[in-house]
Amino acid sequence: MKREILEEAERSRRHLGSIFGDDPEVAIADRRYGFISGVCKKVLKRPHTERITFSDKVDRMVLHRALGIPIFLFLMWLMFKFTFALSEPPMGWVEEGIGWLGDKVGKLLPEGSVIQSLVVDGVFGGLGSVLVFVPLIFILFFCIAILEDSGYMARAAFVMDRFMYKIGLHGRSFIPMLLGFGCNIPGIMACRTIEQERDRLVTILVNPFMSCSARLPVYLLLIGAFFPQRGSTMLFLLYLIGIGVAILMAKVLRNTVLKGPPTPFVMELPPYRVPTLRGVVIHMWERGVLFLRKAGTVIFGVCLFMWFLTSFPWNPPCSKDYEGLIQEAQKSFQLEVAAIAEALKVPPQQLETHEGFSAFLAVQREFEAMVEGLEEGPEVEAAHRWRQKQLASLRQSYPDIYPLFLKYMEAKTERDKRIEELEREQAAEKLQRSYAGALGRAIEPIVEPLGFNWKIGVSLVGGILAKEAVVGVLGTLYAVGEEAEAPLRQRLLEDRWPDGSKVFTPLVAFSLMVFTLLYVPCVASVAVIYRETNSWKWPLFAMLYTTAVAWIAAFIVYQGGRVLGT
Amino acid sequence: MEMEKEILVALAGNPNSGKTTIFNNLTGARQHVGNWPGVTVEKKEGTLRWGDYLLRVVDLPGTYSLSAHSIDELIARNFVVEERPDVVVDIVDASNLERNLYLALQFMELEARLVIALNMMDVAESRGFRIDVKGLEKFLGVPVVPTVATKKIGMEELVRAIIAVASKDEKIGVQINYGEEIEAELRKIEDLIRKEPSLNKYPPRWLALKLLEGDQEVRKLFEGGEG
Repeated sequence: MKREILEEAERSRRHLGSIFGDDPEVAIADRRYGFISGVCKKVLKRPHTERITFSDKVDRMVLHRALGIPIFLFLMWLMFKFTFALSEPPMGWVEEGIGWLGDKVGKLLPEGSVIQSLVVDGVFGGLGSVLVFVPLIFILFFCIAILEDSGYMARAAFVMDRFMYKIGLHGRSFIPMLLGFGCNIPGIMACRTIEQERDRLVTILVNPFMSCSARLPVYLLLIGAFFPQRGSTMLFLLYLIGIGVAILMAKVLRNTVLKGPPTPFVMELPPYRVPTLRGVVIHMWERGVLFLRKAGTVIFGVCLFMWFLTSFPWNPPCSKDYEGLIQEAQKSFQLEVAAIAEALKVPPQQLETHEGFSAFLAVQREFEAMVEGLEEGPEVEAAHRWRQKQLASLRQSYPDIYPLFLKYMEAKTERDKRIEELEREQAAEKLQRSYAGALGRAIEPIVEPLGFNWKIGVSLVGGILAKEAVVGVLGTLYAVGEEAEAPLRQRLLEDRWPDGSKVFTPLVAFSLMVFTLLYVPCVASVAVIYRETNSWKWPLFAMLYTTAVAWIAAFIVYQGGRVLGT
Repeated sequence: MEMEKEILVALAGNPNSGKTTIFNNLTGARQHVGNWPGVTVEKKEGTLRWGDYLLRVVDLPGTYSLSAHSIDELIARNFVVEERPDVVVDIVDASNLERNLYLALQFMELEARLVIALNMMDVAESRGFRIDVKGLEKFLGVPVVPTVATKKIGMEELVRAIIAVASKDEKIGVQINYGEEIEAELRKIEDLIRKEPSLNKYPPRWLALKLLEGDQEVRKLFEGGEG
């Protein structure tokens, strides 16, 4: 047994040695000196003649009364800028990659079956919502590891300590709160550095009020539609509301469920060091993997559950016979084709191989292949010009067929548009009649005082999964598909209550943004809170109290706004 | 007749922190000089009567650390580990606080019941240092008594602090956080150590820490014998 302990200790020593690039004894002594240095900064006033080390010189600047906070804010701004700029492309790749793979696998499964929906929307959708965070989290952890290993993070906590103490938190609580702006998950995970249990819990519980990046799509949609002139002001205001509520709730929690003064604590001020790449990478890797392993499984499970809620009952009776209507659209297209074929004196099934007509079709096919997956831009314009040129020359050779081709294209576009519309309507109605839709209707009376209708209710239910899902669900419900933002804005502006008044006013939009900001931490955060507190008590508490806070805040915004007449 | 309560006090501190002066102040003529077992290092002991209490004071060798790199350090450490004194008084040179606190921290790691005598306060003040004693107490979680041993200032307060700590049972002293990675390894090893009954006279966290530091003396505990 003792031998085993010794072996385990040797393993730990090697592991730590590889992280710190030094004997663990040195790292441990560093921590002790860091602790002492922190104590002395707090309790000892030195005469001015003391000799000054390099660390002292840097500290004099970064811990400066006036300059400390601006320096700190600047570094944080830099870190976020860097993280988001760097993680945006890989996040796109992950999203596209998962979507592509899901499509491919989905094609192997029977079209329209439960199993196809489970795999494509449930499994791959769930996988996507876990993996899409991976680049962001790894890059953020990388940056944090650099700041930590260099010794600066300890200074940052020191700078903010006095302020944090005033609001009933710990100097160490500051970093987790800050990380929360990027994503609440690393924020909550970073609370581990707070030793005192109560301080840690308060910091964990108020962390979800920090407006994470997943809430941005919601703000962007609503601000774009209702506050186009005052975009950045509104955005800033929302972040401030989050911070204000976090401070307020920290105070409240400190005086109720987690009573007690914040424990005095000493900030370690370890000497500055040049971080080693190896150490930084190991730090990043260990935390990133932890996120994947611990939160990933729970997020994935809940995504499957949300899939179930939004997809069942499987084939609900609908107000229209969508399948029939789609077939009808197909049929009327077939009639057009038959008419064109007759004009060319071939049977309809031979239209596509008709000598002249097929030449037009070939140009069209090639054009479609050229623009596939492209956004509007010079390339697309070039493709259009190419198509026009080709068609013009064909027109010379087949002047009679050209008008028939135009007719054919018109009918085809007509049919495609009609089918797409019907499919969207069908998806919207399916969602409306799903369990999630029923839930939305059930909570309508609860959210009505906030100015929300049942569609917003359903989207908020979807937002439990991840806050950005609010936009996706709204998109499905307003039958515009999930991707199209501009048409969704239009639909939001047009939607009306049964009495004819508009559903969405700037006030409702603001109320919805405030609610989205504050209510239920996303599934992943709840999962992490569970892992970090090792009980279901705190995540459940977090879900309930944040929702209560959100309701009250949105109520004040909406009803207050109405009284003020805006 | 009322029973006299005996308190075993170990006096520790960096060399030149005024330890001997404090020892003399406390014990006066009631001293007795011998050798530490097995080595030729002088061991001084003395007694002090205070109300119902009899303080038996042992003067440990002056050291900067407890890392077992020298015989003095080993003697000091073994005394605290093996004899478990009721109170360890660490004499800290107030004019050299940062360096002196390193030893105090190591006693705290050993879970010794610590009282800090912040000695040479007069020197520190004349050199322009200002020390927030209450703050120091708060952050370290142990009593801190300012003293000037050469002028016998603070001796009574020191004795009272010793008796107060000796008569309480609760744990004192803060635990240093060594950071996520080290803490994770510490926990792993600590859990294993707790399962080993032959080690239960040692603080498990301290053993784990020493193993991580690669402390040769502590390794010997694990290398020899059964298991």
